[in-house]
This record gives sequence, C-alpha cells and structure tokens, in this order.
Amino acid sequence: MKPYEIIEHTADVGLKVYSPSLKELFENAARGMFEIIAGKYYGEKIDIQKSIHIKKEVDAFEELLVDWLSELLYIFNKEKILFRDFNVLELNYNGLSGIASGRSIDFRYANLRTEIKAVTFHNLKIEENEKGFSCGIIFDV
Amino acid sequence: MNQSWQGTLEKIDDYRWKIPLSYKPGMRVPGLIFANEKLLPGIFSDKAIEQVANVAFLPGIVKYSLAMPDIHWGYGFSIGGVAATDPKNGGVISPGGVGYDINCGVRLMRSELTLEDIKPNLSALIASLFNNIPCGVGSSGDIKVSDKEEQEIFVKGARWAVKKGYGIDEDLEYTEDNGSMEGADPSYVSERAYERGRNQSGTLGSGNHFLEVQVVDTIYDEFVANIFGIFKGQITVMIHSGSRGLGYQICDDYVKSMVHCLKKYNISVPDKQLACAPIDSQEGKAYFSAMKCAANYAWANRQCLMYLTRRVFEKVFKKSWDSLGLRLVYDVAHNIAKKETHKVNGEEKVLYVHRKGATRAFSPGHPELPERYRKIGQPVIIPGDMGRASYLLVGTEQAMEETFGSTCHGAGRNLSRAAAIDKCRGRNISKELLDKSGIIVMAKGKSTLAEEAPEAYKDVDIVVDVVHNAGISKKIARMTPLGVIKG
Repeated sequence: MKPYEIIEHTADVGLKVYSPSLKELFENAARGMFEIIAGKYYGEKIDIQKSIHIKKEVDAFEELLVDWLSELLYIFNKEKILFRDFNVLELNYNGLSGIASGRSIDFRYANLRTEIKAVTFHNLKIEENEKGFSCGIIFDV
Repeated sequence: MNQSWQGTLEKIDDYRWKIPLSYKPGMRVPGLIFANEKLLPGIFSDKAIEQVANVAFLPGIVKYSLAMPDIHWGYGFSIGGVAATDPKNGGVISPGGVGYDINCGVRLMRSELTLEDIKPNLSALIASLFNNIPCGVGSSGDIKVSDKEEQEIFVKGARWAVKKGYGIDEDLEYTEDNGSMEGADPSYVSERAYERGRNQSGTLGSGNHFLEVQVVDTIYDEFVANIFGIFKGQITVMIHSGSRGLGYQICDDYVKSMVHCLKKYNISVPDKQLACAPIDSQEGKAYFSAMKCAANYAWANRQCLMYLTRRVFEKVFKKSWDSLGLRLVYDVAHNIAKKETHKVNGEEKVLYVHRKGATRAFSPGHPELPERYRKIGQPVIIPGDMGRASYLLVGTEQAMEETFGSTCHGAGRNLSRAAAIDKCRGRNISKELLDKSGIIVMAKGKSTLAEEAPEAYKDVDIVVDVVHNAGISKKIARMTPLGVIKG
C-alpha cells in the first residue's frame, strides 16, 4: 500500500492517503503535506535537530486531521522547522498527541516548492475498509 | 481525480447556462454560469459545476448561485463564484465564499512612458524590481511594522500606508473602498493570524501573485480609455497580491469555528468547506469584522508594493515617479464579501455579496465610484497569464441587474499545478517566453514558472469576450506583458 499520493486538483493540490491504522493515516498525511511543500526528496537532505510535541483535542477525526496538519503548518511557518518524521503516540476520541521532528531552515535558501495557505475541509472524509483507512485532503495553495 | 460533471445545463443564450433547481434537492436558487461553447468542455471536466449547485444550498441566497467564465474547481465554492445573501431572510456569511487569500486583488498603474522609452532599460528595470520587491514562499519585507502599527493597518488599510508616506491621497481615491473597509475590529483576529501577518507588509508572496510591466496593445473604447488615462503604446504596471499569511489564518480560524455553527444553527450544506453562520449571529459578525482586517491589510500591502515599484522606476529612469506619471488607475479586490445595496425584483435590498475569484464591476453613476469615473463606470482589472495578455474593462448596468455588480477575475486555471509541471518538464519557460515574445520573466521558486506557464491557464481573450458579450462588463483596453516578476 502506497502511504500517500499527491493528487491533481485544478487550482489546488491534494493528497490521497492510505494506511493500515488511523495513527499512520495521520503520520502519512503529514509526510505528504511536507512533500508538497518541500519537494519529493526533501527528507534525504535534512537531519533531525528538533522535535515538537503536539496535542490536540477535538470530537471528530476529520476535524482532528485538519487540526493536526494545520498545527504542523503553523509551526513550520512560525518556527521555520521543516519536519521529516512524525510519530502519533495517541489518537482517540479525546484527541491526539504526537511528535514531529525536523530541522530549522532559512526560507530564503531552502528552495521550497509550494506555499500551502491552508488545509481545507473540502470533501474531507476518513474512510475505513478491510485494508485500513483512506482519506482525501485538499490544500489551498 | 479528474471527475467530469454528469448533469445537464439549460442553455439560456450563447453566454448563459442554467443549473435548474431540480438538479439537486436542497438548492434554494438555480445556478447561472457565464460561458460559451468553447469554455464549456473545460468547465464540465471537473466538479466546478457541482460546486455552483452546492453554493445554492446556502440559507438566504438570492436569485442565483453565479459563476463567471473563469470558473474552475475550488474547495467549497468554485473559483469564479458569486453569491449574495439576504440577512433579512436568514442569510449567511461563509469564509469559504471569500477564500483563504482575503482581498487577493489587482492594481493597475499607468505611466507617461511608452514602449520606446522603456526598451533600453527594460532588463535593468525588471532585475531591479526583482531585487527590490520581496517575493517568494514565506517572504518577509523591508517595511517593518510594530504590533501597534499592525493593528492600525487592520483598521485603516491603505490609509495607513499613505499616512506613512508610501503613497498619496489620490491613490486612495482610486482604490476600491478607498483602500479601507469600515468596521474592522482587530480583537477578532487571532494571535496566530497576527503572527502570520507580521513582517509581510510590502511583500508579493508566491504562486500566481506577480508584478508585471506591460504595454497597452489595443484600445477598444477611446473615450473611456482616455478618462482612465490609458493610451495605446503606454507602459502600465500590474500588481497581483493579497493579504498573505494573515488572510489565510483568518479564513482557517473561522472555517473551523463555522463548521460547528452548521450544527448550532441547523444549516445543511453538502460540503463542510461551505461552513457558514447567519450574518447577524455573533460568529457571522466576528468573521466579517476579522475579514475586513485582512482586506485592509491587503490594500495596505498593495499600496506598499506600489510604493516600492515607484522607487525602482525612479532609480532606473532617474526621474521622480510623479514626472514619470506613475499613477494608480484602480485597485480591485477579487476575494471578498461586501455589504452592498442591490435591486432585487425592483426592490432595494441590503445584501452580503461573496465574490470568490470575481471582481466588483459597478455601473456608471454608482455613488461609490471616484468622481472622475462616476459617469463611465468602475475600472475592472483582469490579469491574464504571463505569456499572453491582461485586460482593463468597465462595469455596466447589466452587471448591476444580473450579477450583483460582478464579473470575472482572470483567465482561470486550465491545468493543475502538477499537470503544468509535467507538461513543462525539460523546458526552459523563461527562455521560451524571452525567445518567442521578448518577455523577461524572473521567479524565486524553482517550479513557479512551470506551474504558472501560459498553457496552465485558459485563454483570457475568450474569458473576457464572454463577459463583454454577455454585457456584464465592457472591454476598454488590452495590455501585453514585457517583464514579469513572480514569487
């Protein structure tokens, strides 16, 4: 199973994410989002220097997914940390706790590919089948 | 993910297509799409029409869910969508109906320079613009503002910039809403939105935002062009930018809060991205007030970009901007919600008009127009792609009657960014543009040029012909690019 694919959307960019578990679905979505931001092989060029602990509370998984990705996007923009590794420690109806790791970058020299403005709710639905979970996410770019 | 639309459109005339109420239960009004036969296959190829039908679910929507000919698939609302809601009839306001880049818009500057004047200096000019105007992903600018000033920008918009010396009063006169919407309350802006907006004043941004030096190549209406100060062979500058990180975060914050409003106010919409709240609700008022802060910030931003542009021209041509005649023709917003008065079935109503990828196109005589343009109508600025052309149009009475004084906003994308990159693989877009058309293009981002290649866009000539022939705005002049800088 591919962890994610970048999908076409005329004005925006999206991801189709697949995974055997809900936790991995969240991790894969984050990986996909940073590939859109920094390009296909960005992970090979960075070593881990920093880890951030993220905690979120929300009552529906779709909203939680948007919140998790939005939080990563926010920290990326504010702290200028390009994340590579994601570890969702806990995920249930009470919320999410996870760690994202990466390194500080200088936006001027980082050669970033795409500015993601936001994670949208457009047609967002987490689906479950016998193989696991899948979800489409559209970003505003 | 290329799913085509399977429904049937009813042809009204060569430029108008209706989505009947019967298409989907829950639609409160029909959909009306402005397009011609050439544009329809592209429109049918994705889910944009479905989105026009979905917008028709919004409580209090009046007359039609409208789509301009540059319509393409967005999220929630399509890009190129217009929807007016009536607060007296349960009308809602939807952050998704404005979009993330609140008050993304365009300004057009004219000059007294001609193509001949500029030719020897063109490459120096474009290089200097590229070096002096901060652009690119997450770029921050030289115009630094304190936290207190940031609040002042939210409230005063372009008026703040002019007060700081980044322009003159006349610039405000020729800006939609005079560059500042009343009723912006910074207390509705989250700390995060503040942070994202900080240090981004006077920055262009990335993606489809640009600054372009152009030459007027065709005049369609001498009389109106003359009043706009436009003549054939003249050099113009077009600036396309928005509210940067501030607007994105405000939209993000309020879409999230309004997802909860759907349940609270018992609103049923087919897509969560259409999240909305009654205009008169606390949530609706809070969003509108925060949106105005971002709108004002965007006007201040474009004013700062114009100031930086004027400075570069002064340096390159060794003359003051005033003597170069670098004046503002007009500045329009194309992602915004406005409280406006419109006639509906002969009755004047106060409506909230959402324009997402659509431009205001007020008719001659409208009291909100500057004195000089009042008799001829509002200038409408339509950017095309970097290889073809852009347009200056004027608003019409027909637009007031039919589209709540709205028209198209640009060429509209034809290809997704990924498809454009695929199509341009192995090609040098800036060299192609230079060799073929003599256009100098400079961009910060590695893939920006491929993503923004001319073939990624619909042909702006066709889009503009539709609004012209449908009568919702009239062609005045066409400008072609000489040099473009992008993020």
